[in-house]
Amino acid sequence: MTFDLSVLSGYWPELATGLGSTVWLCAAGATMSGVLGVLLTVGQRRGGPWLAAMIRGYTALTLGLPLLVLLYVMFFVLPDFGVLLPAPLVGTVTLAIYYGPYVAEVIQAAVAAVPAGTIEAGVTIGMSPVAIARRIIAPQALPLLLPTMTGLLIGLVKDSALLSVISVHEFMFAAKAVVSDTYAPLEVYFVVAMVYWAVTSVIHFSTRHWERRLGRAHRVALPR
Amino acid sequence: MIGFDPQVIHSLPTLIDGWLLTVELTLLGATGSLVFGHLALAMQLTRVAPLRWAARLYISFMRGTPALVQLFVLFFALPLIGLGGRPMLAAALTLGLNSGAYTAEILRGNLRVITAGQYEAAIALGMAPWRIALRIALPQMLKASLPALINEFTILLKTTPLASVVAVTELTYAGQMVIARTYTSAQVMLLVSVGYLAVALPVIYAARRAQRSPRTPGVERVATGVAR
Repeated sequence: MTFDLSVLSGYWPELATGLGSTVWLCAAGATMSGVLGVLLTVGQRRGGPWLAAMIRGYTALTLGLPLLVLLYVMFFVLPDFGVLLPAPLVGTVTLAIYYGPYVAEVIQAAVAAVPAGTIEAGVTIGMSPVAIARRIIAPQALPLLLPTMTGLLIGLVKDSALLSVISVHEFMFAAKAVVSDTYAPLEVYFVVAMVYWAVTSVIHFSTRHWERRLGRAHRVALPR
Repeated sequence: MIGFDPQVIHSLPTLIDGWLLTVELTLLGATGSLVFGHLALAMQLTRVAPLRWAARLYISFMRGTPALVQLFVLFFALPLIGLGGRPMLAAALTLGLNSGAYTAEILRGNLRVITAGQYEAAIALGMAPWRIALRIALPQMLKASLPALINEFTILLKTTPLASVVAVTELTYAGQMVIARTYTSAQVMLLVSVGYLAVALPVIYAARRAQRSPRTPGVERVATGVAR
């Protein structure tokens, strides 16, 4: 067995198309989990005790179940109940269902870290709840939110590779197709690993840049 | 469809065997994770630059690529060193290597609980460097890392189903086999889910408790002395 990357020539367009769909799936999954995270946060804080308990149970379920099991449940069990959805939709929805509670936990931790005194001050000078959320909570919570959210996004990108097992045509699926054509699994998966590494590194470093900028703005706002 | 199927009863031994293999994989992975985690941490703390770079590279790669891809790379790379056709080895090694990178980061983060004063005191007492590492740094670092390490253990458990793609008959794969035989996906997936939750939820609960429990006064003092 030898290691020869030239066997991949001619298959680059196929891999690139796969990577493109991975990017789209991740963008959709991340947006949906973000929305779900906000909804869960609001439900936990504003909803009644029953809703809060249900959200806690749901959170515990996603913390304890492997994503692959969740994917199989969505993909194999739902059709038993007459729900037939296309694989990419099942995949992105499952990613969102899995990551939503994580996003909610991160948001709640960041909001809890905002000093209560600053919110009370806002109430005292008669700011509306929306204004408080936008001008007091958000500027203080966002810098705290960013590093953990970046971690979640990187996790989501990595986990999107699992969608290949329910035959979503993303990067990993394209890689498997190329493997079955070239019989060069090591070369193909090595390249796949490098590409994922590059993508997650880009996310990591670009948000580090934003983190620093937000951190600077945050520091300036602090009283001396 | 949803009605109870007696065939599932006959498949229970398959599922239980799968569950045991999942637990075995998790424990093997956790052992590997602790070994590789400590190794990567030790390499980062040496004065030898190439060792430090190698450790950083290892951690960055393991955290930056999907475990599924790592598993495939390892599975197809092992034959090169004469260890082909051993999916269980590939799976356990991938889990250990993958989780080890996160363990190394957890340990490194918690190394900060040990203040410079303690090292100075140990040096003043004439303790050898390895003795300082073993008797001063390690116990405190491990104690502070415990909640995060327990959390990492549950993540490791949740990564074990990946082994099913290289045909290790752990719980998820066993479930797939039973479904292929009986066409009772809902009941089998329910049982599979219960199998994972039965391990994960008590561990998550234990981690929450470990995090919430008041720290011993000694550790508390150390923790507040961080800002210097």
